[in-house]
Amino acid sequence: MGIKSSALLVLLFLSVDCFARPISYPGGYTFMFRSNSLRDTAYLHYSPTSRNAVGVEAVSDKVSNDDYVYLRYTRLLFRKNHLKSQGNLYLNAGISNDGFDNFFYGVEGDWETRRIFTGFGYKRTETNQIDIEEKYFLAGVAPYLGDYGDLHTWLMVKFKENSYSDASSLYPVIKFFKGNTLMEFGYSDSSSWDIHLMYRF
Amino acid sequence: MKYSLLVLVFLVLFNGMHVYANTDNHAHAAKDTHIHKEMSDGSIIQIEQAKLNSFSEGLEGAKILVVSVKGMVCDFCARGIEKTFKRDTNLLKIDVDLNSGKVLMAYKAAAKIDESGIAMKIRDNGQEVVKIDTLQ
Repeated sequence: MGIKSSALLVLLFLSVDCFARPISYPGGYTFMFRSNSLRDTAYLHYSPTSRNAVGVEAVSDKVSNDDYVYLRYTRLLFRKNHLKSQGNLYLNAGISNDGFDNFFYGVEGDWETRRIFTGFGYKRTETNQIDIEEKYFLAGVAPYLGDYGDLHTWLMVKFKENSYSDASSLYPVIKFFKGNTLMEFGYSDSSSWDIHLMYRF
Repeated sequence: MKYSLLVLVFLVLFNGMHVYANTDNHAHAAKDTHIHKEMSDGSIIQIEQAKLNSFSEGLEGAKILVVSVKGMVCDFCARGIEKTFKRDTNLLKIDVDLNSGKVLMAYKAAAKIDESGIAMKIRDNGQEVVKIDTLQ
């Protein structure tokens, strides 16, 4: 699936009016840890407004066996609020301390009600050694509707692929969040663990 | 073929959700735990009785506001609203009802309520105010 197909998907999603969701609240910090088959990352960002975030991300690259740091910027491009739903379309970009040849850019979108969550993402990473494209789609349901401050749980299915391994995988993901903390775990035989931890403060 | 199937599933799902998202007559509206409080201008606001009772406890004389918000569908979204308003020294208490998409606020009796300021703070947080009702 090339860029044209990805662009078509974005347009299709836009045509059904399904994005929105803020980065963080103004003045808020977010710490994220991610681990998957390609890299482990630790990312700290600050949101001066609900539409922008800047931060630094430490990367342990499993493909190049290299460690580097990205200076990152995230922009909320599009937001749609309904009475019972919310969605976002984000633009992400980062440049590494290794120089201008090591950078990434991508888009991420999500749409959710209290019961249903969907999301997708596209990311292109360029380094001195290899360029990698990654894509994912995510859809899930909340098995119960927790009140404000409760433990919230999502049962989801994620489809992802990357140009490095040239393989796709479809696997279950479980997401928990309570208060300022979020934990997401996915596992597939082909790409192993996909972990996302987040804390806002 | 795999991608086409995936896209098809997503589109069907999204179309279904789009209808759901724009429909306000959800199931819990029919529960008898809700009260339908009539305001002086004739409008009706829907609040969960237990939530309102719990919130109002010990707040006699305070100005209680019910703010209807679009886009407040998750705990994370609402948390920013709570953090923003807690900086206001006139605010006595704040709570969120995710089911009805409402923020409950209690202000000191002498506080001057700036509805446009409240709407602006919520907009800056990424959501939109639909309506602000003062209960007492």
